[in-house]
Amino acid sequence: MEPESPFIPYLARLQSVTDLTPDTKLFNLELNDPAMRDNFDYSPGQFAFLSAFGVGEAPFCLASVSYRKAGLEFAVRRVGTVTSALHELEPGATVGVRGPFGNHFPLEDYKGRNIIIIGGGIGMAPLRPVINTIIDHRDDYGDLLIINGARTPQDLVFAPEFDIWAASPRSRVELTVDRGDEAWTGRVALVPDVVKELKPSPENAITITCGPPIMIHFVLEALRMLGFSDHQIVTTLEGKMKCGLGKCARCNVGEYYICKDGPVFTFEQISRFIEQF
Amino acid sequence: MTFVMSKEDLRSWLGQLMEERTLIAPTSTDGLILFQQIARVEEVVLDFDNTVLPPKGCFFPATETLFTVQREDGRINLIPSVVARETVLFGLRPCDANGIALLDKPFLAEPSDTLYQQHRDKTILVGLSCNKVSPECFCTSVGGAPNDSSHLDILLTKIEEGCIIQAITERGKALLPLKQAPQTEAQPPSPPCPEVVPVAGALEVIRQVFGDTYWSRLADRCIHCNLCAYVCPTCYCFDVRDYEDGGRIERVRTWESCQSPGFTRIAGGYDPRSSGGARLRQRFYHKLLYFAEQFGAISCVGCGRCVKFCPVNIDIREVVRDIQSLGVKGGA
Repeated sequence: MEPESPFIPYLARLQSVTDLTPDTKLFNLELNDPAMRDNFDYSPGQFAFLSAFGVGEAPFCLASVSYRKAGLEFAVRRVGTVTSALHELEPGATVGVRGPFGNHFPLEDYKGRNIIIIGGGIGMAPLRPVINTIIDHRDDYGDLLIINGARTPQDLVFAPEFDIWAASPRSRVELTVDRGDEAWTGRVALVPDVVKELKPSPENAITITCGPPIMIHFVLEALRMLGFSDHQIVTTLEGKMKCGLGKCARCNVGEYYICKDGPVFTFEQISRFIEQF
Repeated sequence: MTFVMSKEDLRSWLGQLMEERTLIAPTSTDGLILFQQIARVEEVVLDFDNTVLPPKGCFFPATETLFTVQREDGRINLIPSVVARETVLFGLRPCDANGIALLDKPFLAEPSDTLYQQHRDKTILVGLSCNKVSPECFCTSVGGAPNDSSHLDILLTKIEEGCIIQAITERGKALLPLKQAPQTEAQPPSPPCPEVVPVAGALEVIRQVFGDTYWSRLADRCIHCNLCAYVCPTCYCFDVRDYEDGGRIERVRTWESCQSPGFTRIAGGYDPRSSGGARLRQRFYHKLLYFAEQFGAISCVGCGRCVKFCPVNIDIREVVRDIQSLGVKGGA
C-alpha cells in the first residue's frame, strides 16, 4: 500500500450555502469520512484548498473555528474560475478539501492584550475565527476593537454577525464604507482614515489586519503614526499557490513560502524579507 | 566494484535490461539528442555532449495526472496515479544526476510527493562520465565533476575497449550481469576541466545587489520564453489544473516557470512580481540564495543548458560574475 498522495483531497459534502454579499458566499462543509471530521483540527489563520472537480482547486482561509465542530466554513468571493464554479454548487454537492495548511495567529500569546482587528472586504474571512475565538474566551483578552470596511454597505461580509460581536463585553464594532447608499447612516471613509480617527492606543495592544494590499499599506502607515511597533502588527499574506506543501514554489518570497512559513506574519518579519510583496 | 565491459557486452547487457524494465537512454531524433524509451538497443547513443533536455521528466514529467475523478451512481472516487514499471535511466551525465538529487529536496521533503517518490524508487540511474566538456559547462564550480559518481547507482566511463563500469550502490551492483570480467586496474582517463565561475564570491555579496537596477536592465532583453526553466535539470516550479474530457476528469500537474507573466498573480488581479526584472531576479535568487538557505545547496548543477539555449544570450555565468563585481563595488 503506497502512502496517500498529499494532492488527494478529502471529499466533503456541501451542507449549506449562504449569500453574504452580492459576490460572496459562505460555504459550510462536512467531511465525508467521520474519522477525518474529528481529526481535522485547525486554528485561526490557517487555510485549505477547495476543489471544484473538473475546474480546479484554490486556497481559502478557514473562516470557522475548529472547536465549535459545526462544519468547515469558507467565505468565497467570486473572482476567478474556481470561485465561479464553487458559486454554482448547491447544498449536497461534493467538493474536495485539502488542508489545513500554514501557520496561525498565535492567539495564546495575545492573552491579556487589547486586540484591534482591521479588516477590509473579503479580508474579514481570516479575521472572523479570531473574533469568534476571542468572544468565546472573552475573559482571556483585553478590549476588542473591530474596524471593518467595505466598498459599499452591501459588501460588508459578515453583517449578520456584527450585533453578536458588538454585544460581547468590552467590544466595539466600527464600520465604514467607501460609498454609502440611501439606507446607510454610518461612516463613509477609508479604513486607514478610520484608524487615524479612532486612535487606538498601542499600549499592550496587538493589531491584526487583512484586506486589499493598498488598504494594508495605508493602515500600516496609520498604525506606525499612532506609535505601533511592527511586531505588534500582524497580517496574513496572500500568494498564488498550487500545493500548500512548499513544493510548487509559486508563493515563494525570499527564503519563505507563504503556504508553510505563513500566511501569518508580523510586519517586523515582513520588513526583513529580501523581496517585498 | 570496477571492471571493463566490452562494447558487445554492453549491448547485450542493455538488451537484457530492456526485457524486464523500461530502458530510457539518449537517442538521436532529427539530430537532437533526447532521453527516450528504447525499443532497440541500436537506438542508444553514447557519443554526445549532453542531451537537449535533462532527465528530470522521468521523475517530474512535463505533464502528469495526479489523480482521476471517477463518478459512479452519483458518488465520487478519486483514483491516484501509480507508477508501475521499473525503469533504467541510462546514460545520464553526472551533472544531471546531481540535478535529480536537488529535485529530491523539495519533492521528498515532508510530506513527501508520493508520485515523485514512486518514480524515484522504481528508477535505477546508470550514469556516463564526461570525457570532454562543452563550452557552456561549469559543473566543477557548483560542486560537481565530469566523473562524479554521487547520486548514481552505476557509473560508466568510455574507454577505447568499451566501458569502465563502477557499481556505486548495492542496487547498481544487483543490476549488473552475473558474468563479469575480472576487476580491473584500468584507470579512467583523467576528467577534463570545465570553465571556472566565481560562485562562492557571488554568494558572499548576493544580498547586497537585490535592489540594483541590474535586474531590470538584464530583463530588458529577456523575452520570458521560459526556455531556461524548460531545459533546466533543477527548475521545479509547477502548476496544477483540472481537465474534463467527456465526463473524465483529471487533475494534472505541469511544469511552470517563474518567468511566466502571471506566475504570482493572485485572484483579483494583484501581482506582487509583475515586472520582468523582478521575475528574472527571482530565477537567480531562488537558485543561488533561497534554495540554498532552505536545503543547503544552490540549485544549479553547471550543465550550461540555459546558457546554450537562451535566445537572447542571458548567461548565468556572466550573471554570477556581475553579482560579484556589483557587490564588491557596492561594498567599497
